Amino acid sequence: MFRRSRTRPLIALVAMVAAVAACGTSGPSSGGGGPFKVWALQDPVLNPIEKTSIEGAGGALETFGNDPYKQKVRVAIGSPNAPDVFFNWGGGNLKEYVDAGKIEDLTPVLDSTSGLKDAFLPSVLNGAKIDGKYYGLPMRGMQPVVLFYNKDLFTSAGVQPPKTWDDLLKLVDAFKGKNIQPIALAGSQAWTELMWIEYLLDRVGGSEVFQNIRDKGPAGWKDPAVLEAATKVKELVDRGGFGTNYASVGYDVGGASTILAQGKAAMHLMGSWEYVNQLGQSPDFVKNDKLGWVTFPSLAGGKGKPDTVVGNASNYYSITKSSKSLDAAKKFVSTALNDEKYVQSLIDAGDVPAVTGVKEKLAKAANSQYTTWIYEQVEKASTFQLSWDQDLPADQATKMLTQLQELFLGKITPQAFVDALAQG
Amino acid sequence: MKRNVPAGVSALVWLVLVAGPLYFMVAVSLRGRADYLTNNPLKPPTDPTLDNYRTVLTGGFGGYLFNNVVVTFATVAIVVLLGVPAAYAIVRSTSKLVQRGFTLLLAGLAIPAQATIIPVYLLITRLNLYDSLTAIILPTAAFALPVATLVLTNSLRDVPKELYEAQTIDGASAFGVLRHLVLPLAKPAIVTVVVYTALNAWNGFLFPLVLTQSESTRVLTLGLWNFQGQFGTNVPALLAAVTLSVLPIFVVYLIGRRYLLSGLTAGFGK
Amino acid sequence: MRQRPSFWYAAPAFAFFALFAALPMVLVVFLSFTSWDGLGTPQPNGVDNWARLADDGQAYDAVGRTAILMVVSWLVQTPIALLIGVWAAGRQRSRAVLSSIFFLPLLLSTAAIALLWKVMLDPNFGVTQALGGPLGDIQFLGDPSIALYTVAFVITWQYVPFHTLLYQGAARAIPRNLYEAATIDGAGRVRQFVHITLPQLRYTIITSSILMIVGSLTTFDTVLILTDGGGPGTASRIAPLHMYITGFSGFEMGYASTMAVLLVVVGTGLSLLVMRVTGYRSMNSQQEGA
Repeated sequence: MFRRSRTRPLIALVAMVAAVAACGTSGPSSGGGGPFKVWALQDPVLNPIEKTSIEGAGGALETFGNDPYKQKVRVAIGSPNAPDVFFNWGGGNLKEYVDAGKIEDLTPVLDSTSGLKDAFLPSVLNGAKIDGKYYGLPMRGMQPVVLFYNKDLFTSAGVQPPKTWDDLLKLVDAFKGKNIQPIALAGSQAWTELMWIEYLLDRVGGSEVFQNIRDKGPAGWKDPAVLEAATKVKELVDRGGFGTNYASVGYDVGGASTILAQGKAAMHLMGSWEYVNQLGQSPDFVKNDKLGWVTFPSLAGGKGKPDTVVGNASNYYSITKSSKSLDAAKKFVSTALNDEKYVQSLIDAGDVPAVTGVKEKLAKAANSQYTTWIYEQVEKASTFQLSWDQDLPADQATKMLTQLQELFLGKITPQAFVDALAQG
Repeated sequence: MKRNVPAGVSALVWLVLVAGPLYFMVAVSLRGRADYLTNNPLKPPTDPTLDNYRTVLTGGFGGYLFNNVVVTFATVAIVVLLGVPAAYAIVRSTSKLVQRGFTLLLAGLAIPAQATIIPVYLLITRLNLYDSLTAIILPTAAFALPVATLVLTNSLRDVPKELYEAQTIDGASAFGVLRHLVLPLAKPAIVTVVVYTALNAWNGFLFPLVLTQSESTRVLTLGLWNFQGQFGTNVPALLAAVTLSVLPIFVVYLIGRRYLLSGLTAGFGK
Repeated sequence: MRQRPSFWYAAPAFAFFALFAALPMVLVVFLSFTSWDGLGTPQPNGVDNWARLADDGQAYDAVGRTAILMVVSWLVQTPIALLIGVWAAGRQRSRAVLSSIFFLPLLLSTAAIALLWKVMLDPNFGVTQALGGPLGDIQFLGDPSIALYTVAFVITWQYVPFHTLLYQGAARAIPRNLYEAATIDGAGRVRQFVHITLPQLRYTIITSSILMIVGSLTTFDTVLILTDGGGPGTASRIAPLHMYITGFSGFEMGYASTMAVLLVVVGTGLSLLVMRVTGYRSMNSQQEGA
């Protein structure tokens, strides 16, 4: 009797653990054998194209929204359940993974596959080159940040798109006078605000200022150009450039893009993917030629060159070292990304793939006016600065984004912004 | 009980505040996207459509729902299987170890699950459970155990000693007492525990957020959040998803309102 | 004769709890003395994290916001829940019907509620715009001086039904003869409420308050979804969210653990304080109520 009373609960426990364990193994996530897993950013237009290409190679695609993705990919790579292939932005962020020994070196693959290295634009391929080795291959288009505008609003106001910073400030006043929000900003997501200060710092102080910060550490923020750029941001905000309600508008949920398309806002500074996005969400707006685009304005007296661009050179697929499907993953990235059909589908969607000889293909496809323009922007750019939040280590990037939002909200002064960042 | 004017008035105001958003949720879910963006969202839909529900149901909702059901069932099973014998031992055992364990469990009442998320993440990855439903189930059940055990213990404490003793005199084993006396008497408390645990597991957010990634392990709460980005300004589709996510619990509410409410206030009411 | 249940009946529950709840608690203390970026293994770094926490203005601000949220949601929820709870305790049919509507928010998950309100408060396409007037000019989620109170309001919307339920149950248990005696003595309704109802509900008020305190301290998903992670800027970045962002966005998991320990100390301290004051031992949880 005593014995029974002791064993029964134990049996129950064993049964339960077994049930739980069974539950665990039946989960589709257990690696090995199954299709290799590819992670990418959520994108209603490009995801179907990626999916076709990945599934054709025997893989499976998982997608996530922008902000969750950046967090989840890091967590996953730190765990034993890392994806086999993952979408990234190259640069400093990828370097952190490389330094931690998590990423497979793709240089041998590039060297041993004939014609592969020459298939991509060298400047873009270099975005994932770390310490002389290649850790990622470009998997989609070039994404410089450009200034979009609503042509109807400009026509009815009788104004021209801005060429200089002063033009932009005058336009702000003009649209404000007509009760139109001058510039759409998805301010609940700090990376949209980042684009403004990235361009401004580049125009004010040249590309070296940020490169110095990235390579030599936070003390670089003390460069007077940073203070000047931050001051210009504050002036633009205080002037009413972004209206009054930008702080709770989100990009992922389409808020900023929709007000541009609906004529509630006149301009929108955004990555080149905005075109593809508008094409998907508000097709008539694009097809009726209402969406315009220009380079970010130049700044009189600034040290920076007016032709530099910021944004993402491309996105890359990298392979995790712990992948159980290394061979399949390598075969996938070495064959699928310069595949004719894949490249053509990207072009058809309005993307500008980073492959050589793309210019001729762009000219023949739909949206050629836009895609050719984007291609030329990147081609003639003297530097292409990667988005800061991807070029800095995660802890610094998180702090920088927080301070930037405070600056846009007017909670801190430009000087306090500089001080907080320089502190590290 | 008599009329109570201030309470009656605040009850009416509250009624508007509660019913308004719920009306909005259902009404908008029946409109088209363009209709929503251009017309007043508060007016009843003139041209109701179920398209949004179709979008949601073909957009992975079923899988999220299934995962939620699995997580909820497994969590409840663990809590009841472990909690009932434990409560029985706490009430009837003379072992000092048991009482010490109970104290430890009670201390757990004060630990916010949020605060342990980093070590839980560490533990789950080291156990190779990351990105599985098991990863959600284990900590969810562990954090539900203190309240569950407390509710069960309190209900068993109300059982007169004589009943236990009568069984013992009849020669029943400890397990026999558990089966023939404790289980039937603890039934209402078990129902309460089941509902309480199920609701916590059903609505869990942080553990799934940190401990899972893939679409195949996504639970309903995370699925809803994800729909937000996926649907963009297609607000009607998002609200259709929200409405659908409420339906299962709403059905339970219609069937067993009393049990649902007792589970909600598990351990705190009366 | 040993017919009482042995230790082994309780052992599985204790072991399970120890592994997945108590062990993490110990681990979080350990991690608070390490530096860990989430990719490698935790490296001990002495008391660096604690020294850093001591003069981290952002962490203090986050704790301050949590305190505001706690006080505001207590002040708003308690009178509403108390009044409606007592009212709903009446056995009239109309009250029963209305209360079943009141309880509906209980059926929505926190994620669902946060998404619903986020959509309604959208600055361009939300309900506040549709209603127009002065309401349309208020940036409920976009104004840094308002956002935290909007969060408190949404939490109130979610949890008032729960606390109403507690008060309804307790008010029904008040012996009727107390009121009958008071009526004979000529006491008015307000006097009855103050002198009979409130004292009789004393313990329920305490229970409900503890739940609100612990709930506010651990609010997380509401803010993450409603204000896109504590926005605008850091206006609604409360302590648990600050910890989450430090850990899972900045990947300073050691430092985030230090904040977690602080959170536990404060939470346990407050609960023990209230329980000591009131002689309660058994009634609180981190899962429900805010």
